[in-house]
Amino acid sequence: MKLYNVKLLTVTCEILAQKNVINILAKHNISGYTTYEVEGNGARGLRGQGLKNEKNVKVEVIMQQDKLQDVTEEIARTLFTNYAVVLYVSDVGVIRSEKFV
Amino acid sequence: MDILGLIQSNLLTPIVLFFIFGIIAARIKSDLKIPDAISEFLPIYLLAAIGLHGGIEMRNTGFETMLVPMLVAIGLSLLFTLNHYQILRHLGKFNLFDSYALASTYGAVGAVTFSVGLSFLKTQGVTSEGFLAAILAVLEPVAFILAIFLTNMAVSKQMKTKKESIGDIVESELSMGLSETKTNLKQVLHESITGKAIVILLGSIFIGYLIGEEGFSSISIVFDELFTGAIVIFLIEMGIIAGQRLEDIKKVGVFLIAFSIIMPTFNGIIGVLVATVMGLSLGGSVMFGLLLASASFIAAPAVLRHAIPQAKPSLYITSALGITFPYNIIVLLPIMYLISSIVHNEGSIDLFNYISKGWI
Repeated sequence: MKLYNVKLLTVTCEILAQKNVINILAKHNISGYTTYEVEGNGARGLRGQGLKNEKNVKVEVIMQQDKLQDVTEEIARTLFTNYAVVLYVSDVGVIRSEKFV
Repeated sequence: MDILGLIQSNLLTPIVLFFIFGIIAARIKSDLKIPDAISEFLPIYLLAAIGLHGGIEMRNTGFETMLVPMLVAIGLSLLFTLNHYQILRHLGKFNLFDSYALASTYGAVGAVTFSVGLSFLKTQGVTSEGFLAAILAVLEPVAFILAIFLTNMAVSKQMKTKKESIGDIVESELSMGLSETKTNLKQVLHESITGKAIVILLGSIFIGYLIGEEGFSSISIVFDELFTGAIVIFLIEMGIIAGQRLEDIKKVGVFLIAFSIIMPTFNGIIGVLVATVMGLSLGGSVMFGLLLASASFIAAPAVLRHAIPQAKPSLYITSALGITFPYNIIVLLPIMYLISSIVHNEGSIDLFNYISKGWI
């Protein structure tokens, strides 16, 4: 079966920044994403324990190459200074590329 | 009853002992933990119980009696928030964002502290006015709204001066940045008023008002008898979280540690005295003082992280939960109780009010 190349953007951030990330996605007409709660350690110390508001989430979004630049740029510009965020991009293959415009 | 004796007997209550136990469990790196679902459920349960009691009381006393205390509480909360800001900004040399975030954390109220206060009074065999639950609901967003409004103003002003100094060339770029930095006050207002704490509190007050004593008797086993036990379970969790943050306390600095103890004491004692003058009962004055003394550590991060993201959450969560909360429930509560007992017994005018309202 033919696989089409698209990009997977993964954003691991504090749960209170999740809304900001999703708003940015919505602004670029991306409505599909997957989130899950995660734990871990990083520059801002052990995260994911204790208060619900201090948990981390992972947001995964599949999109076409052409949108990726704008989305990552906006996340970096608006969230990197004030929130705990780790962002990375990987290449993935999908069967139905029309789902990820 | 001397103050040390009262603090000592307060130390030996299950609530305080389990809180300290939670801290110890965290220190010895035990994997003891209250499951997430329960620690999220308990604040909702506590607020529902507080609201129901408040609503039932208000049915007996009516709404008129609460108007003046409520307005005074709002006024004091705003005044204290401004006062905190001045102290933090000018004496503590904190930056603008941290100052406003901390100022509003300490101007806001703590629902958990309030629950502990109610249970403390229960142990002492004293009641308090039901409308204080309504004041708790109204006070919750007040300090945040003020702080966020003032932060927005300050940011706009800074942007304006920057713009003037740079010139018109990059104007469009700057105004774009400005609109992103400024938090939408309307959105914050909507979020904090429709937040779960206020919704469950107001809903329960309303339901309590409708059902009254008779309706409550069928659910009192859950919302009355279990109340203190539920706080105990929740305080294990609070103790664990506070214990995990003990190292952070060193990082917040001596100034903030002193602030987290002195400000609640000052605010709380003023609260007790003002409440006494307004004619609140012995227990009511303690709770009124506690409202003003408490700092918010569950609602604050959720609101402030969005509204003032530049402020460091480690500062306001650590000081409110790690220092002020234990201090309030262990030391300040007995102190305020003692002060309230003294002013209620010795002031002849207050005594008159006290008896005429017939709270005991």
